[in-house]
Amino acid sequence: MHDYVAVIFKDTENAYRGLHALWELDSDGEVTVHGSTVVHRDEFGDFQVDTKETHPGLATAVGVGLGALLGALAGPAGAAIGAAGGAGIGAAAGGVIGVTADAVRADTHHQAKDEVAFALAPGQAAVIADVSEDATAAIDTRMRELGGIVRRRSWSSVHDDAWFGDYIPNSYLYPYEYIPPGYAI
Amino acid sequence: MRTDSDLAQVRKAAQQLHAAISDAAAKQGGAAKADIESLTQKAKAVRDSLKASVSAQDEVTKKHLNAAAAALDALQKHIAEAVKSSGRELHTSMRKTLADARASAQQVSEAIAMQRSTQSSKSHN
Repeated sequence: MHDYVAVIFKDTENAYRGLHALWELDSDGEVTVHGSTVVHRDEFGDFQVDTKETHPGLATAVGVGLGALLGALAGPAGAAIGAAGGAGIGAAAGGVIGVTADAVRADTHHQAKDEVAFALAPGQAAVIADVSEDATAAIDTRMRELGGIVRRRSWSSVHDDAWFGDYIPNSYLYPYEYIPPGYAI
Repeated sequence: MRTDSDLAQVRKAAQQLHAAISDAAAKQGGAAKADIESLTQKAKAVRDSLKASVSAQDEVTKKHLNAAAAALDALQKHIAEAVKSSGRELHTSMRKTLADARASAQQVSEAIAMQRSTQSSKSHN
């Protein structure tokens, strides 16, 4: 199975522990991680994405792409919000991009129970990842041990959402384990 | 299920290439160009090792590896364009180069996923 997963944690520190554990599962051959990042919701309710310091133009693209992906993880209702809100993201400052869209309210659409109902309260953080897995148990078990709540949406259903346009969602996930300086894992 | 070490090494090299290009993209003008130009050989080396590992794979895995090779070909083309450009054109070329690096890493990773899945199926049969 090829899925996008969102693993919700109580804060960013725990989310990076989860990110590290996810890549460890990859190293062990339990799953294959194609890309990942961590998003968190600040006290103002805005989404923040830790990125490497980069050119502002690239940073904006990352923000737009991830805004759209967050919308996709919320399913069809969030999708439109994510795409529209993501387009309004400003340039990065200090390697952090604000994803201004509140793209995660998924209470108005019909989705299978096992699909993502991705909602972050202020202060919470989530690992977002593009993964291949033969079974869901490896990620579910390890993330639960770390206090994470796993949500999934199939890769194909995300990519079938036509509104993505030029923004290929996994393009904005790091294809390796990227943990910003300052997080001791 | 661990994957074969050749493909794992190719994946690691593709990941490192992406990291180096994203670091270069953070710089301005001449510094960015110098960094990106220095990655030409690394890109070629990743492509060569990738092509060397293709023949040993099954058809589906090969498809991903060939797509990764195509992305690395495009990447080398965009590096050459970046070195010759400036301003907005330089930024555009850098962005395309980074996208190529991301695409190549994704394709190698998907090849590894296919290989792991195949090996897992065999071990369960």
